[in-house]
Amino acid sequence: MHEISIAESIVQIAEAKAREQNARSVQIIKLRLGTFTTIVADALQFAFEIARQGTLSRDARLDIEIVPMVVRCVVCEASTQPVRGVCLICEQCGFPLEIISGEELQIEYIEVDSGKEKSPWSQYQNEFQSKPMY
Amino acid sequence: MNLMSAPGAGKTTLLEATIKALQGKFRLAVIEGDLQTDLDAQRIQALGVRAYQITTGTTCHLDARMVARALDAFPVNDLDLLVIENVGNLICPASFDLGESLRVVVCSVAEGPEKPKKYPVMFNKANVVLINKIDLAEASGMDLKELTANVREVNPNATIFALSARTGEGMPVWTDWLQRAVAVHASVAMVSV
Repeated sequence: MHEISIAESIVQIAEAKAREQNARSVQIIKLRLGTFTTIVADALQFAFEIARQGTLSRDARLDIEIVPMVVRCVVCEASTQPVRGVCLICEQCGFPLEIISGEELQIEYIEVDSGKEKSPWSQYQNEFQSKPMY
Repeated sequence: MNLMSAPGAGKTTLLEATIKALQGKFRLAVIEGDLQTDLDAQRIQALGVRAYQITTGTTCHLDARMVARALDAFPVNDLDLLVIENVGNLICPASFDLGESLRVVVCSVAEGPEKPKKYPVMFNKANVVLINKIDLAEASGMDLKELTANVREVNPNATIFALSARTGEGMPVWTDWLQRAVAVHASVAMVSV
């Protein structure tokens, strides 16, 4: 169950980012997860539900995009998606294959509730606030 | 160096043999990771080498935070090589980068030739694969060529050594390689500073 420690780290990262933005809560955490990792999406979802308790992410949704493993031959450039078992030697020419994708464990974005009313004036408000105050 | 394997592949015995061969040639220390007990750290300390035991409780791997905490109590500034012996496990440790510059995976002949195919992530991430206990190859009915080919399938670039930490067969080739790797790493690190 190493998904628990991964989920804890994700929640900590979201917490830090949300506080940076003075956000009230975290709404969505978007994660890209490769199939050539040892992390299981279902187990991570389960762990996330536990890890988020008592944090700004307590009501957040964890969106996991599964990134398939894609390998490419360094010589003939043929690319394939290994389905059953992993063989990183090119069937065509016998040279090593490089992994193009499938090793991802990456937070793509975090959506937070900033607590600000979304009024037609909000953009001007932001503009005003971002000016240095002397 | 992050040293990983399934439980019982012989990581600690290999480490003892490696230390005996390299003692005096460079300064090294060991961080041991286990769920329980400091038996492994005791084995390393018995050779006169500094060792620190991390007990993870129930956690199946070491992560960078555990190592960082260990380093607070275990200074490693004056070393040429820090070995981190991970928890015996071919799954979880593959996903946790400890900040190492060298990943070594040990696989013993008694584990069967299919191990690399069954645990491709772990074997794929190894820089070096050490096939241990070759003195038991015949008794285990292991064809070393088959095992080597299976390592190559999931990691065409791995450096592979076949050895027996217990009898010493094949050990000098590995320890010579490691000694050179440490020297090369030190010179590269010095240039980048």
